[in-house]
Amino acid sequence: MTASISLCDVGRTFGATRALAGVSLDLKPGVTGLLGPNGAGKTTLLRLLATALPTTQGQVRVLGLDPEVPAERTGIRRQLGYLPQEIGFPRGFTAFAYVDYIALLKEWTQPPARHAEVRRVLGLVGLSDLSAKRIRAMSGGQRRRVALAQALLGSPPVLILDEPTTGVDPEQRVTLRTVLAEIARTSIVVLSTHQTEDVAALCERVIVLDRGRVRYDGPVTDLVSQAAGRVWLADQPDPAASASWRTGTGRYRNVGARVRNDVEHVEPSLEDAYLLLRGGSPEHEPAGEMTS
Amino acid sequence: MTTTLAPARPAADADRATFAALAAREVRRFAVNPVFLFAVAMTVWVLSTDPGNVTEIDSVNWIPAVFLGGFGMMATFWLTRSMRASEPIVGVTPVTLPARTAALCTVAIVPFACGGLALLRFVQLIPVGDPAYGAFSPSARIAVLVGQIVIPSLGGPLLGVALGRWVRFPGAAFVLFLILFGWGNLVTALSISRPDSTPLVVLRLFAPFSFFTLRGNTAHLTTWRGSPWFFLGWQLALCAIAVLVALLRGAEGRARLRIIRALGVAGAVAVVMLVLAAAGGFTHAVTA
Repeated sequence: MTASISLCDVGRTFGATRALAGVSLDLKPGVTGLLGPNGAGKTTLLRLLATALPTTQGQVRVLGLDPEVPAERTGIRRQLGYLPQEIGFPRGFTAFAYVDYIALLKEWTQPPARHAEVRRVLGLVGLSDLSAKRIRAMSGGQRRRVALAQALLGSPPVLILDEPTTGVDPEQRVTLRTVLAEIARTSIVVLSTHQTEDVAALCERVIVLDRGRVRYDGPVTDLVSQAAGRVWLADQPDPAASASWRTGTGRYRNVGARVRNDVEHVEPSLEDAYLLLRGGSPEHEPAGEMTS
Repeated sequence: MTTTLAPARPAADADRATFAALAAREVRRFAVNPVFLFAVAMTVWVLSTDPGNVTEIDSVNWIPAVFLGGFGMMATFWLTRSMRASEPIVGVTPVTLPARTAALCTVAIVPFACGGLALLRFVQLIPVGDPAYGAFSPSARIAVLVGQIVIPSLGGPLLGVALGRWVRFPGAAFVLFLILFGWGNLVTALSISRPDSTPLVVLRLFAPFSFFTLRGNTAHLTTWRGSPWFFLGWQLALCAIAVLVALLRGAEGRARLRIIRALGVAGAVAVVMLVLAAAGGFTHAVTA
């Protein structure tokens, strides 16, 4: 049986605020990207999947286990790697000591095996040389990689990553893509990000959330193809475009809902498609749900 | 850099093995905590005095309680809070919060053992047969010392764990230390003026540490009311309450109910022990 995560009509509220509403998904091994504006519910969805948060509506099953049942929740956690969006580190810990501590909490009780695993994951994120450095003395990107390293412990069947590449330099981002792509051969990897290029480079599937609802769920290529003919260059911002910005060449890249023939079209990117889906700006009202 | 993936982690069958390893890790972290090391150093320094220099127990017996107990409480409070910022990560590991709390509670073994050693050194300084212990029987004298030196060294750190689990204010342990220190001094001062007052006996014993004798500025030694043995029972009940309160954080379902039930029992035992401690012992203060 293939490992999977399923959500059926899942909702989550925080007081009067509805963070997620009626989300139904089925996730299989591979990398799934989660896109959406701030407050769309991405982090809430990831926290639900990571058993950090209970639902207020609907049903979640991770690898066939119910996170609402304590024993099954522990079963999920044994097979889970989770990188939260925000994390602090205890004082005085080196990168090695911290990841080693988390490895202990992930039931790596035998020191030789645990230490070897800690060295391996620190190597995966390019921190082998900095493993003895105190985390508090590290840069933001290095800290992020320490946090990512603990998520990779044991090559978990489920890997939930909330903005994994924030603050990470381009070289390391490319390396991390390689690592995640390798893990995704057998694991379910869900990553939330604002970096559309990461999603385009890494994910087979993308889910766009907006105001707690799924706006798009399908292959990245399908989403991009929906923007074909709707992205063009011009010397001035086009009033007909729903979004336009000045590029490095001095010309304006315009993204608009209507297909135009009288302009210089360019190959759309995932970012263009995402902007189109969003209606060009965050203020736009959501259109209907799109699925591939 | 390599992208080779490791095989799946070893079979995680052993909750007990994980707990033991985690407890050992926490004990190591506690043992090198600067606050605790300072407390040990101060205790050793005070107790390394020449036996001839110590003529009354009350000038020394509070030292281990204050340092191993009070500073130990601050150290475990810090230790408990240290992973708070990482809770989004550690909170989704297979080890539950109560299990992590239990592992933290085991660190109290270290100050407890230090308290035991301090007791041995104390008895070396002032043998149990010495008149400095007042009118108590030899066994009651042992109870007094255990209650003043060993149990506070255990209870303080346990209280620190409970506080760390429930209180967000970073200075909470220090504030509690000041409150307990102030309370101890206040009721001791009141007891000097009215040693036979029953309410004051209860107030004096309503603390994790209490004096049972006092020489003060006079040549006479006063042995106060109260049963050292039942006071030990009261202290141990307080320790149990601290552990249970700490474990309650994050406990779910049946485990939570069991903890609440145990808290009720521990609370009842504590009240009974306090009443017996106040009612037991001498019927009035004995001055010799």
